[in-house]
Formats: sequence, structure tokens, C-alpha cells
Amino acid sequence: MAPGDSIYFRVLAMTCLYGALAFAWNLHALTGVVSLGHAAFFGLGAYGSALAVHYWKISPWWGLLLGGGAGAAYGVAWAVVFRNLRGPYLALATLASVQVPQVIIDNWESVTFGSLGVVGIPALPPLDLGPVRWDAGEDPRGQYYLLLGFLLLVAGIHRAAISSRWGWAIRAVREDEVAASAIGVNVWGARFQTLVSSAFLTGLCGALYAHLIGLVEPPLVFSLHISAVPLVFTIFGGRYQAYGPFLGALVLYPLDQLLFHAWLPAGHAMVYGLVIVVAILCFPQGIAAWLQERVKSVWS
Amino acid sequence: MWVQIFLNAFSLGSFYALVAMGFALIFGVTHAFNLAHGELVLLGGYLAYWLTRSFQVPFYWTLPFCMLALALGALLLHLLVRKVREPFELNSLVLTFGVALILQNGMLSLFSADYRLVPAAGGPVKLPGFAAYLSPAQAWLLALSLGATAALYLLLKRTFFGKALRATIQNREAAELAGVPIRRMRLAAFVIGGSLVGLAGPLFGQMAYLHPAGGMEATLVAIVVTIFAGIGQIRGILLGGWILGLAETLAVYWGGASWRELVSGVLLILFLLWRPEGVLAPKRRAVP
Repeated sequence: MAPGDSIYFRVLAMTCLYGALAFAWNLHALTGVVSLGHAAFFGLGAYGSALAVHYWKISPWWGLLLGGGAGAAYGVAWAVVFRNLRGPYLALATLASVQVPQVIIDNWESVTFGSLGVVGIPALPPLDLGPVRWDAGEDPRGQYYLLLGFLLLVAGIHRAAISSRWGWAIRAVREDEVAASAIGVNVWGARFQTLVSSAFLTGLCGALYAHLIGLVEPPLVFSLHISAVPLVFTIFGGRYQAYGPFLGALVLYPLDQLLFHAWLPAGHAMVYGLVIVVAILCFPQGIAAWLQERVKSVWS
Repeated sequence: MWVQIFLNAFSLGSFYALVAMGFALIFGVTHAFNLAHGELVLLGGYLAYWLTRSFQVPFYWTLPFCMLALALGALLLHLLVRKVREPFELNSLVLTFGVALILQNGMLSLFSADYRLVPAAGGPVKLPGFAAYLSPAQAWLLALSLGATAALYLLLKRTFFGKALRATIQNREAAELAGVPIRRMRLAAFVIGGSLVGLAGPLFGQMAYLHPAGGMEATLVAIVVTIFAGIGQIRGILLGGWILGLAETLAVYWGGASWRELVSGVLLILFLLWRPEGVLAPKRRAVP
């Protein structure tokens, strides 16, 4: 296989998508919340875009925004309904809340096609940018550049959530909510903003996924796997570094797709579980933090 | 017909209570959220399936074997959970989430995604006087669930060891001060919880189809019932299981089978919002 082959572009493209998903997840996790239910936003984004394009015949580019909006709406619901929950109780609530859109979509067959799923979702139409024609629909290279651009956008937002004034507020909320509130940090605002932007971006990822794959069905886009992946990548890569989630995606996703898929075709996702277990026990700050320590000790 | 509905609801509810008991005991004593609980039940079911399929072991012999195997499995889990650092509850939740992923995919690669069923022993029994049938799976369920609840109740209330367990559940530091060996209690909680799971697994395999993705659902059920009963309250678990069984059976009767999964999810969210320390838990009086 030559380096120009489309499989490398496809794997890189999906690495970018999952990296963006991990950044989006960590955006909310920076306030100290472990969400096990981000698949709800992903699925709502995928279905929102797919159904909007199907019924209203709009361009898939607008569908992406609508998908993000669907995710953000459910994020607002979370922010309001779960506002008093913390820690493990919040994590359990997020886990249970994936069931609501999943079962509703699965059963509302007249609108959502139920468990058959939506097929034939149109790919993103090519954009004519002056002299350049950017085909993000069919061409793997075009898809890769689109997802790379998206990744950089989300990475930028993620970095802002760590290193800007907003980032300091988030960090204060994470470390001690009561103290942060006492010195005047808008705790509710920080949590709400991170949750809704995380939900919007995750919904965007879901919508992109729908138009790239061309098919959505409830067990595919609401699966526990989708909720677990950003968690695994972020915990592995580093929760509090600007590049942490993407580092996890860069290392683990190609490893999983190219290596473990061949060894264990059915249960290859087991490696994600192993990563979680090892990371929680041995380096809960992620390998990025571990690397930083190593570099510091060598440098000084 | 209502008799049949209530019969179904109570046998399902008794099963849910059995599934929840192991979780509640482990959580009460160690404060570890075991998200891999459902996968362990499924593992017991698959073990029973493998035994009945490959070795033609009759159903009632799979039960002690699975209880032993799952007690061992729970022991291994305990060794992992012991090493988790602060914040303990959240980290144990994420850790067992990883274990659940491992188990789920392990079962997927070993048994494939096909639906499996442990063969039932015998035919349905008609209840005299009513137009209702009790399948052998339901009979086993009711008998074993009620029996296990009674056994656990006796253990906790009538033995000294049970007293030590209850002390650990109520206030770990005070129990330690009183001389209760906390580490041994944690070990015991995992082992007893594991054997309860081993009891539930083959029953699950007999009454519902085994497929690797069904673990999270079973875990949610265990969590809903445990939160309903309150942390450390065992007697509320049977009642909680019955209420959940009734709610789900009625939802299926009125809406169709596909709405069943929503019931436990919505109930869990409601309980978490309303009374996360337990719906039946006694209100804590403020210490003056």
C-alpha cells in the first residue's frame, strides 16, 4: 500500500473527527464533570442533520448547523435538569439520558424510520472556492482536509477553554466550586457555556459523521462506544493539556483501526476498556502529563 | 389477564431485586459504583449457556458453579477497585466503565452478537383457579429471588458478621473505630455480591435473550433499584424491584415492548433529581 492510498486518508480523517469529538467532550469535562452520555448529542446531531436534509431538502452544509443545534438544545436540557447533580450522580444521569432520544427515535417510525435508520444521506456537496474546487463529499483527500479544518477549529476553542480568562473561570469551578462562587466566578455560567458548546460541537461531529457514512441508525450513533471514545482518548492523552485529547486520538485510533481490528475483529474495542483501566490506575493525568514530567526532568 | 400481568411483573421484579442486591451490597460497603455489574450478570448467563450447551449440565447445577465463578470474578474486580485514588466514587465509576467495555467486547468476540437462550427446564405450569401460566423460568426466579433476599436478610440481621457489615455500611470510620476489620468487610461484600450476581446470571439467561450489549441495561436496573431503596437499605430492594417490574410490565402492556428500556432510564433520572440518597432512606436529622 502506497502512502497516497485512500485508506490512510480515511483513517486520518476519522482520527481528526474523533479528535474533535474528544476536544468537544473535554470542553465540558474541564469543569469537573465526567459525562458518559455524549452519544446523546452525537446521535441527535446525526439524526437532526439527516432528517432535516431528507424532509426539507436543504443543503447538507445547513444540515450540519441544524445537527449542532439539535445537540445544543439537548445540552440546554441537561444544564437545566441536572443543574444540582454532581460527581457520580451526574455521571449516572448522563448515562441514563442517552436512552431518551434513542428510544424515542427508535419508536417514532413515521418520522425517523425507527430501527431501519435513515439511508442514502447525501454527502457534502463540493464547494467552489474561486479557482479551487473542494470536494468534501466523495474524495477522501477532500474529506480529510475538511475534518482537519474542523479539528483545528475545535482545538482552538478547547485551548481557549484552558488558557484564556474563561479558562481560568472553568478551572476555578473544577477545583472548588464553592470557593470559586465565593470570589465571584459565575459558576452556573461557566458550566452552562461549556456544556452547550460541547453539546453543539458534538452534534456537529455527529452530523459530519452522518454525511460521511451516508447511513444512521439508533444503535450506531447512540452507542456506548461513541460515549466512551472521547473519554478514553482524553484520559489517555491528558485531561488538562491543550493537545491532550488529540494526542489520545492520534495514538489510539489508528492503533485500534489498523492493528487491533486485524487481531480481534469482533471485540477490538476491548483495547479502549483496557486503556481506561490502566490510565485510571496508573496515570490518571494522562500520558501528556507524564511526558511533560519526563521532559522537565531531562531539561533541568 | 390482570393476574398474568401481575405475575409477570412480580417475577420480573423479583429478578430485578436479585440483580440489585449484589450491587447494593457492594456499593453500600465500599461506595464503589460498579458499572460493570450488568456485564457480570451477563457473564454468568453466558457461563450457564456454555455449560448447558457444551457439557449438557442440567440447569440447577449451573447455579452453584456460576455463583462460585462470579464470586471469584468479583474478587478480581475488588483487587482493581482497591487501587483507585481520590475522588473514589467517580474514579471507581470510570474504572468499572472500562471493565464493562472489556467484558462486553470479550463476550462479543467469544460468543458473537447472536442472541442466545439458556434452555428452560420443563413446561409452563397453570395456576389453579386463574387463567394464568407460570413458566419454569418464572418459578425459579420467584423462588430464588425470595430465597436469596431472605438469606441476605438473615445474614445481615441475625449474625455477628452481618452486624459488622451493617456497621460498615452505616458509617465506615465509626465502624473502624469500633474494631470492625474494614478491609475484610470490603472483600466479603464483593464476594457475597459476586455470588448473588452468579445466582442472577443463569436466571437471566433463561428468561431473556443473552446478547453482549444487554449489560448496561441490567446495570441501570440495579442502580435504579438501589437508589430507590437507599444506600445500605436491603429490605427496600425487594419493594423497589417489584415497583420497577410493575412499571416496565405496564409500559410494555400499554406502549409496546420497545418502550421498556426508557422506563429504567427515566426512573433513574427522576430518582437522582429527587432523592439521590435513596427514596426510601430515612431523612437525616440535622446534628445539633
